[in-house]
Amino acid sequence: MRTILKLTATLYDDLVQRLREPHDFAGERVAFLKCRPALSATSLLLLAGGVHHVENEDYVNDPTAGATVGRSGLRKVLQAAYMEAVSIVHVHLHEHRGRPRFSKTDLRENALFVPDFWNVQPSLPHGAVVFSFDSAVGQCWIPGSPSPSGVEVAIVGSPMRCTWKVTNG
Amino acid sequence: MGDKLNLQRQSFLGAGSEIVLGRSRAALVGLGGGGSHIAQQLAHIGLGNFLVIDSDFIDDTNLNRLVGATMEDVRLGTAKIDIAERVIKAVNPAAETIKRRANWTEVTAELRDVDVIFACVDSIGCRSELEGFARRFLIPLIDIGMDVHESSGEFSISGQVMLSMPGKPCMRCMGLVTDEALAKEAARYGAAGGKPQVVWPNGTLASIAVGLFMKLVTPWETHKVTPLLLEYDGDLQTVAPSNKLAYLPAYCKHFDSLNELGDPFWTPDALAVVE
Ligand SMILES: [Zn+2]
Repeated sequence: MRTILKLTATLYDDLVQRLREPHDFAGERVAFLKCRPALSATSLLLLAGGVHHVENEDYVNDPTAGATVGRSGLRKVLQAAYMEAVSIVHVHLHEHRGRPRFSKTDLRENALFVPDFWNVQPSLPHGAVVFSFDSAVGQCWIPGSPSPSGVEVAIVGSPMRCTWKVTNG
Repeated sequence: MGDKLNLQRQSFLGAGSEIVLGRSRAALVGLGGGGSHIAQQLAHIGLGNFLVIDSDFIDDTNLNRLVGATMEDVRLGTAKIDIAERVIKAVNPAAETIKRRANWTEVTAELRDVDVIFACVDSIGCRSELEGFARRFLIPLIDIGMDVHESSGEFSISGQVMLSMPGKPCMRCMGLVTDEALAKEAARYGAAGGKPQVVWPNGTLASIAVGLFMKLVTPWETHKVTPLLLEYDGDLQTVAPSNKLAYLPAYCKHFDSLNELGDPFWTPDALAVVE
């Protein structure tokens, strides 16, 4: 089964713009997509309907990491997941072209905090996606499955942009 | 030579266009006068994956406009989806065709998988429901419709092609679906006789629809913004962006809630069935 994150181009453009805004000390920004899941004949679909942005004061100053969201920041996201009954997908941006990769730190952190969203929404899948300027990769934790699966991304707009149709890798 | 479609003459669509088209998937809901034209064109441009949906069989009143249909089909009462598949496969044997002789509401799992839905249906109610479905699963929908009006003994042909893009104005925003029109249609339900339909306006509308699809999937230029609503004047033989576009909201307010997305009855238990 494939897992596909879908978001409109309008939402994507707004997201990227916000992620690229400089911060006083955080090296990079993160955000959380609020999604509703669905099953198709072949795939699990994560349909993004909004973004939870991290407020400036909710980043903590940690020189060892690009972006670290403090406890109060995480609490706000968990609350949003609970109140709005949504799947949460953590997103950040690597500012280059071509296929991005999660860093070792990214992978370790994903495995730590993504399953935390099951504390508030145990029946929903949750995940993390890193975008580059023209591609993306992601991980999704699906209820009942101990290890994460890969995520493909489709940006629905004119033109359509899908990671699995990019021909230059 | 061989059985592979040679797309050399459309290489201006981009180096990767053949692969992108081969991997793309479109649904055609309705394989009558409009849908049959679209199926034929998508086969020629090298679309790799089709989902064709129509519950109908051909009859002798369809032959004036159904592309690919023969007198023999009328005699046999062939299903419209079988005619569509035959046309597609004759052009491109490598294309995968999933066909369902059903109402689209019975094929929703497969429909959720497509990149674009072509709505080639007659009623306002049906196109409105299909758009609601497409928005729920973030799928662009291309809708075509034609009409023949009579006034003081003369006839007038018109039509429109609309791109319903998730997040952008919908059929209600554009005034194509109104409560009044839906009520009027419901009151007419069951009235004798089909609406007038002819082949050449369908061909024009289908060609515009395929052009919109190509701009989504393998755009050949990116500077000109494609209008979301194009109107066909079958008397003047013109197609032009609708005047309504100037007054549209930037965003649709009819489908802007998280609750309008995804499975309304989500349960992770269903995952086990898919795996
Ligand atoms: Zn609307």
